[in-house]
Amino acid sequence: MTFGQYWTQISELTLASVKARYRRTFAGFLWVLLNPILQFGVQSLVFKQFLKLNPPNYYLFLLGGLLPWIFITSTLGMGTPVFVQNSHLLRSFKINPMIILCSQILDNFINFLASVFLILTPIYIFSDQSLINLLGIPLAIIPLLVTTASFTVILATLNVFYRDINFVIGFIMNLLFFLTPVFYPRDYVPEHLRWIIDVNPFLYIIEPFRWLFLSPSWSEFMMWFAKGLGVSFGFLLLAVYVWKRRRNDFYFRL
Amino acid sequence: MISTSDSEVIMSVKDIKIYFELEHYHHKGIRDVFVSAMTHPFEFLLKQKELFYVIDGISFDITKGMRLGILGTNGSGKTTLCRSLAGMMLPQMGSITSHKEVRAIFDTGTGVVPELTGRENAYLLARLFFPAMKDIRPIVEEAIEFSELGHFIDIPFNQYSKGMQSRLLLPLVSSVPSDILILDEVFDAADIFFQNKFAGRMKKFIASSSATIFVSHSIDQIRQVCNHLIVLHKGKIHFQGDVEEGYQEYLKLNPSNETLDRSPFGPGT
Repeated sequence: MTFGQYWTQISELTLASVKARYRRTFAGFLWVLLNPILQFGVQSLVFKQFLKLNPPNYYLFLLGGLLPWIFITSTLGMGTPVFVQNSHLLRSFKINPMIILCSQILDNFINFLASVFLILTPIYIFSDQSLINLLGIPLAIIPLLVTTASFTVILATLNVFYRDINFVIGFIMNLLFFLTPVFYPRDYVPEHLRWIIDVNPFLYIIEPFRWLFLSPSWSEFMMWFAKGLGVSFGFLLLAVYVWKRRRNDFYFRL
Repeated sequence: MISTSDSEVIMSVKDIKIYFELEHYHHKGIRDVFVSAMTHPFEFLLKQKELFYVIDGISFDITKGMRLGILGTNGSGKTTLCRSLAGMMLPQMGSITSHKEVRAIFDTGTGVVPELTGRENAYLLARLFFPAMKDIRPIVEEAIEFSELGHFIDIPFNQYSKGMQSRLLLPLVSSVPSDILILDEVFDAADIFFQNKFAGRMKKFIASSSATIFVSHSIDQIRQVCNHLIVLHKGKIHFQGDVEEGYQEYLKLNPSNETLDRSPFGPGT
């Protein structure tokens, strides 16, 4: 199959599952935007007003970290059980399992893009910062997407073998929320404890994205971007390895 | 009977083996693993993994025009063999060589997104089955017509009965000829009227496909479709050749084969 054919299959499957999901809902797609808006509202209230965290441009800072974080957690949360949930379909026909997983990832990615362009970008435009930074968005999204997708492939594959993963992933991500600089800047962490933050791969894919909205020097952005690319390449290799190695037992365990 | 011996080989299966580690299936808690690791540490580390061979050294060729039936008791490896022929599983040993497109169906009771209507599922499935096709509309609409589902076509697929589901899926998968077609016990859900109606379409479809692999427990269906038979037993080929001869061999596999004739429902069921 050619790349274009894969793309057609993935996009049509995505469209269909979105249609199925919202068909019986009242507000449909609005929920996708309400979730980040509500989280943003509560967190900015608590962290800025109650706890008095005050890095410059805190609203942009928080949104720039929170939107990628929501993308990561929702993709992992919805992607991890995909193979198990679709086991009947996968066993019935010769369908590449990756098509189903990729369509789930694409689904979440579209939600993420929608929240970036409908929530974050307008706020950014009304701030007094240089609009030229918005051009970096496509670049900053690459490590975010590749790493999240690879990580989802790994977890979804392993979940076929160890169903515990789907139970555990939710609370692990809850813990990681506090160990990833989403609502606080990395410099707030004391020097001797900073390694806890620095071993977290999610730092390297959120940070390049967030820097765009805080009008940094481009050299600083490029440094984070390079690190992000490195992390995503590592995860991509790992994902290919896990999938190739496990794909045979896959159907016995599904 | 068509002679297949001197035709072109389109798929070649050479001594394939597929196994899994039996270990994983014994449900042991983490405490039991810990206890056995502590009490017999050497055994725990060095113990040979117990392997179960689902397919245990199978070789055969599929030639152009072959309509291969596969018979075997439950658990003899029929479905695993078909999955590996379809390229869904890769054998750990041996090789399968083929440059032909393989289409495989193992169940007709599955919608892609079951919450959507039958029609929407038909379009999705057609997209997944025939990726190279530009316009899938004509074949889907023709399959829907053939299914005689009427108004049911626009209600959610997950409200269909098994038979209705197969009424939709069978005409759809048989709407475009493929090089190699694998059908694994897919005819059982539809009612007798539809089975008869479908048999005609199936004949045309099989005639236009290069080769068909057909798994069924119904010898009548195999007689209708196949010109060659493989009997699988415990992951090995027990018999390969003529359909009638193979069927007799298959019956011998049952240690108490009188029960086949003296079923409580009378002979022949």
